[in-house]
Amino acid sequence: MAGSDDGRLTVDDLVAWMFRFDERIAAEADRLTALDSAIGDADHGTNIARGTGAVRKRLADAPPDDAGALLKSSGMALVSTVGGASGSLYGTLFLEMAKSVGPTPELDTAGLADAFRAGVAGVVARGRAEPGDKTMVDALQPAAEALSAAAEGGRPIVESLREAAAAAALGRDATIPLVARKGRASYLGERSADHLDPGATSAAILVQALADARSERIG
Amino acid sequence: MIGLVVVSHSPGLAEAAVELGMQMVHGEAPPVRIAAGSDGRFGTDATAVAAAIDELAGQGVPGVLVVTDLGSAVLSAGLALELRESTTEVVVGAGPFVEGITAGLVLAATGAALDEVARESAAALDAKRGSSDATAAAAPAERVVEPVVQPVDAAPGDAAPAAAPAEAVEVDDPRSADEVVVNPEGLHARPAALLVQAVGAFDAVVDVTNLTTGTGPVPARSMIGLMSLGAKQGHAVRFDGSGPDAATAVDALRRLLADGFGELPTPAAG
Repeated sequence: MAGSDDGRLTVDDLVAWMFRFDERIAAEADRLTALDSAIGDADHGTNIARGTGAVRKRLADAPPDDAGALLKSSGMALVSTVGGASGSLYGTLFLEMAKSVGPTPELDTAGLADAFRAGVAGVVARGRAEPGDKTMVDALQPAAEALSAAAEGGRPIVESLREAAAAAALGRDATIPLVARKGRASYLGERSADHLDPGATSAAILVQALADARSERIG
Repeated sequence: MIGLVVVSHSPGLAEAAVELGMQMVHGEAPPVRIAAGSDGRFGTDATAVAAAIDELAGQGVPGVLVVTDLGSAVLSAGLALELRESTTEVVVGAGPFVEGITAGLVLAATGAALDEVARESAAALDAKRGSSDATAAAAPAERVVEPVVQPVDAAPGDAAPAAAPAEAVEVDDPRSADEVVVNPEGLHARPAALLVQAVGAFDAVVDVTNLTTGTGPVPARSMIGLMSLGAKQGHAVRFDGSGPDAATAVDALRRLLADGFGELPTPAAG
């Protein structure tokens, strides 16, 4: 059998990612909602948790055969259960990734980096948010760049994912002083500063969940 | 006629807004689908929006205008365009929710094309803003900080054409007509909707000008434009038509105005 870093991300790894994402979100839901109550409408944790729970159920009921189908199925579950901007944006992330990877049984670092970059580009286009607007893009964009850099440098996948997760966490923390320019928090103007952005926080959890799920796989 | 999909965080809000807008539609109404709420909560669901578009497309509508409420409704509508299966032309409108629905319904009911209805709906804040250019792109509403200044030379009952600017001359061409607003409430939403509906029946383009204030001209097909004229009781209004039915269209509109849109108090019955 291959070791835990055979450079591949299989359909099983992606399923493990979604399950880990659901577990982490369920554990952090109250904290996410508390963050959202400071600068939003106090529903981010419950909304995302509803979505990741729906993804888990869908994948458990009907496990997809390939990476593209898995990402699409997950994205559609998020769109129809999360509601609000987060549902459309996370849905777009997954649906664009699905388009990028197509019906493949597994991805390498470069394939994942391309897909993630396409997904984040979709989120940016859909939400018209740029880095610095205090949104999920502030965590996703650095993660996409770190992943691409790692892929170009020929780095092993587990290491690449850890770097992406670290970049997402840095981007998340950098949202604290920012004044929101997109999303519900933007109605608060200057009062949105000095708060961690809940969207960037859940996005960092998403990336960390992939790094954790893949690094814990027994090859 | 084209159809409308109304996207809202709240089914109650969407239903009430559509009901309000339908008050302005007389005769056959355009088909409307509501995609509101998400999983029984406040929210929007792109898959529900896509299903609503597909349902209207299945009825053979020549186009669909999507009208949205707050932020994420716009995101969901955008994503719905990728998720839908039909290929009917769709525009995600840029108009305000209540005004955009109303203006869209009124113009769509005349059989107007999607792009025209979308423009009218997008400009639907202009009446509130007091703009004289109903075709201008809608600016962000939050920038409107000055109260709308109404002309002061329009005392009710002051119907003397002499009070109007110099261009109020006798018109012989049947494609033009001047008339005085007689109903007490002036050219508000309901009369404006009636004019839109009336002109929609003719092969003619009619422009309307408030001679008393010098506002306009605006297209008679634009409910929002007509409301932006600020035509009050006693104001003189000019209709200028073009096209094969210009004379009959202008006459029909002039008579609607002269009859007070059916809003004149009837003589007291014994």
